[in-house]
Amino acid sequence: MKGLSELTDFYYKTLFPTLQKLEEDRKKLQKRIITIGVIYTLFALVILISLTSSNYVNFDFIIFLAFAYFGGGSFLYKYLIKDYTKEFKANVIDPLIKEIDSELHYVAQMHVAEQHFSRSKLFTTKPDRVSGNDYVRGKIDGINIEFSDFHAEKRHRDSKGRTSWNTLFQGLFIISEFNKNFKGTTVILPDSAESTFGSFIGSWLQSNNFGRDELIKMDSVAFEKEFVVYGTDQIEARYILTPLLMQKLLNYKKRTKKKLFISFTSKKLYIAIAYNKDLFEPSVFHSLLKYKIAMEYVETLHLAIGIVEELKLNQKLWSKQ
Amino acid sequence: MSTPLIILIVLAIVLVLMYNSLVAKKNQVENIFSSVDTQLKKRYDLIPNLVASVSKYMEHEKSILEDVTKLRAEANKPNISNEHKMALDAKMSAALGSIMIAVENYPELKANENVMHLQHTLNEVEAQISAARRAYNQAVTDYNNALEQVPTNFMANAMGYSRKDVFEISEHERKNVNVKELFN
Repeated sequence: MKGLSELTDFYYKTLFPTLQKLEEDRKKLQKRIITIGVIYTLFALVILISLTSSNYVNFDFIIFLAFAYFGGGSFLYKYLIKDYTKEFKANVIDPLIKEIDSELHYVAQMHVAEQHFSRSKLFTTKPDRVSGNDYVRGKIDGINIEFSDFHAEKRHRDSKGRTSWNTLFQGLFIISEFNKNFKGTTVILPDSAESTFGSFIGSWLQSNNFGRDELIKMDSVAFEKEFVVYGTDQIEARYILTPLLMQKLLNYKKRTKKKLFISFTSKKLYIAIAYNKDLFEPSVFHSLLKYKIAMEYVETLHLAIGIVEELKLNQKLWSKQ
Repeated sequence: MSTPLIILIVLAIVLVLMYNSLVAKKNQVENIFSSVDTQLKKRYDLIPNLVASVSKYMEHEKSILEDVTKLRAEANKPNISNEHKMALDAKMSAALGSIMIAVENYPELKANENVMHLQHTLNEVEAQISAARRAYNQAVTDYNNALEQVPTNFMANAMGYSRKDVFEISEHERKNVNVKELFN
């Protein structure tokens, strides 16, 4: 697999002509968005002013108008950047993925199947709506891996019957083979209880977490500080989580700087990295040639695909060969 | 209800909860030890095959091979205590480790399919044993903590519970089995 510096080189050298062309498109698009945005806002203001003179206006109505303004605006924005996004994904993201490994397949509009989300047992709440894009699938060192952007939401109804959507998870969702056989379920979650309430009350809360399996205390202080482990089998959890793998997961967590949710179940390894935003989308108001923007694409891809190498998933034990 | 009665009921509930949690901890230790035992047996079962396959070649390591066979015979005796089992396990791990290192010096052995298969199987069993040992140590730590911490220590004293030993985890094991090195 190609390293980060090689990928950065590829981005700035091989993709440079494409990026330059996209950059021109981007500048034109930016102007168009600003112009249309101003007209749209003026139009909304005219409606508001003409309505204030009438007697219908009350607080609820203004709220409704504000929602309509933002809803319409985001719809308009998505419509305007549609072609540019398509161009960007086909000419930048796709070649980048192929450069990391030519055997990877990329589908911009797809996402990992919804049943994987529930099968992973990472989140106990069932989502009412899922979306996502940028689906990648393939083999790295003989290990099957797939991942995509994923957004799972829960519907919420308040007393007045208004619905709103709460995000359960948004970020990268990775599914991979694991190099050991296991029968049960082991779930590793960010340790929010222990870091909020301290170790005594925190661990009491953890051991009384209904909806989860048995609490499994690991023998690594550093790991226990970052994560909490639940599982169906005390021994199997430790068979999977060797001291070496715990160290590797800690390193991976440090690299991502995000909340990590990991589970070993249904013979697979599931990793959810909470970025809380849609990834691999083209930047509209910043240049694609900016180092920070470029690194976000390159690094995120490298992080997701690098999981096989990072966790040494290709070193199979006898029972798996 | 009168106040003394309420206090009495609460006290009874607390005592029952404490008693149950201690029993649960003790049973957890025993439960996990039986899993450790199963894995250890699996490893002992591999020994005759291993000794038979390597003894033809290993002239200099005869004494280790004899040790391993003796250890296995000892472990198979009925009614040996858990402490004894743990001591035997530590000796066995060390002896098997040196056999595996010695195999590296015999190219005929390294190429032998039967030995390779044994190595892989042993490796897998070692990983299982290591996991079971760590689970056992955690269960024992929880149990020992309950024995020493207030207020469960009074209850444990009354129940006649005593501290249990943990498995010594060797430095080598902490680093984990390096599969790649063993395979090459």
